[in-house]
Amino acid sequence: MADRRRINGPVGQTNPPIYDTPQEKRIAKRPGDNAVRKIFLKTGVTPSASGSAYLEIDDPFAIRPSGTNLKLTCTVHGPRALPRSAPFSPHIILSTHVKYAPFATRQRRGYLRDSSERDLGVHLETALRGAIIADRWPKSGVDIIVTIIEGDQNRDSPDYDRDEGWDMMNVLSGCITVASAAIADAGIDCVDTVAGGVAALAAQDEKSQPSIVLDPDVASYHKIFAACCVAYLPTRDEVTNVWFKGQLPGADAMLYNKMVERSLVACRNANRVLIQSLSETINPGQNVS
Amino acid sequence: MTQAVAVPGQLLGPADRYAAGAGTHIHESNLYSSLLGTVAVAQPEKAPGPAKRLTRIAALAAGNNSGGNSNNPNNSSSNSGGNRNSLPTISVSRSGVSEKREVLPEVGNVVLCRVTRITPRHASVAILVVGDTVLEAEWQGLVRVQDVRATEKDRVKIYESFRPGDIVRAQVISLGDQANYYLSTASNELGVIMATSEAGNPMFPVSWKEYKDPETGISEPRKVAKPF
Repeated sequence: MADRRRINGPVGQTNPPIYDTPQEKRIAKRPGDNAVRKIFLKTGVTPSASGSAYLEIDDPFAIRPSGTNLKLTCTVHGPRALPRSAPFSPHIILSTHVKYAPFATRQRRGYLRDSSERDLGVHLETALRGAIIADRWPKSGVDIIVTIIEGDQNRDSPDYDRDEGWDMMNVLSGCITVASAAIADAGIDCVDTVAGGVAALAAQDEKSQPSIVLDPDVASYHKIFAACCVAYLPTRDEVTNVWFKGQLPGADAMLYNKMVERSLVACRNANRVLIQSLSETINPGQNVS
Repeated sequence: MTQAVAVPGQLLGPADRYAAGAGTHIHESNLYSSLLGTVAVAQPEKAPGPAKRLTRIAALAAGNNSGGNSNNPNNSSSNSGGNRNSLPTISVSRSGVSEKREVLPEVGNVVLCRVTRITPRHASVAILVVGDTVLEAEWQGLVRVQDVRATEKDRVKIYESFRPGDIVRAQVISLGDQANYYLSTASNELGVIMATSEAGNPMFPVSWKEYKDPETGISEPRKVAKPF
């Protein structure tokens, strides 16, 4: 049922106009497949929340105004008292909500969370639960709310049907990193800073062989065969969550391991940004080793 | 002066050279930060850190240390227990990050609370202050009739001890059930510290069991806390 209290947007998808001369294919002019896109991360953006963070992964080749950007904001509320109906809990109760803004993707999103958003929420909760020292906060709950402002999709690519949800991998890794920053900002005890990273098995164009790339900018590859999003604690060398999607060609048995290892590299890169950003909140403008 | 910054998961030092303070944890006989904040090392001569989390940390350190001893043969459990007090305490505080650091009431803490409702069996209170820290959120507490005072427990009547709106100093005796912390006022220092009369005037204590309204002259029964 439509929500009558809000001004609803048009039902279904709204597409930008498609012109006669299709825009040329985006080309991944990366320095290499091992490069990850630049991450912007800032904590303390929402004054009313206990902790908050904002993450942005910018399109490095943004020649058009509508590149494929990822913009996430996370707010942490709590630790606070559990509702009266909740049973006794000797540790903190995590509840994660991941929500796409209605305008975040090509397909317009509703105001209620759909199954993919709930799925992201479950993955995020698993990733964070391994990092939080839950028994420091008995009888309390914390709400972690991630809003996806821009969902890493190429808006003016004419081939809409090619959307197979690979961008959700990048979104999840961003969610993990931004939530980790917001939790640290809120002062909830963690064993380590958890960060997310993605590796994918992708082919540049029709002729080229698939290769493993880090932080895949989905729109600039011809086809993605499989992708893997990992949440990783670098100091502990522990993985708290793995999400693997797609089909691997049967020839190489070690390919799965290789992909997870490559995602760990992406995790370490994201973690470096996270540490730098957290350190700057205490001593602004100072470089901390 | 710049202070040393710690992010969660940062190595602070070996566990046999420092004692774990607030905001730290022990993993494989090393001390790591568990908070984003500034590092403080307190020498054992001084008061070892804030007292509000002390019970919890002592238990954690003892539990982890006995588990970690198998990895670290140099650190036998007998001497680690003995010289724990002589080690400098390393702690991570949130002072540089933000002033609003949420703390939880813990068993043994003295809290200030406001009475919200009373029943014959207990008084419901909202905990406002733990130790010296004003809480961000309100936590529910319960003073049961048998915890109001230490003597003549069977003659205690809640409505002769508390009224809604009173400010009470109490001690946490249990984490309680799912909703409430259990509090006790069974000590001379604990009880009502601020009260208003039925006429709405602030009252002053006149005895261990009475508050008096200076304007109407009517006294009301309370469980009065000993003034400092």
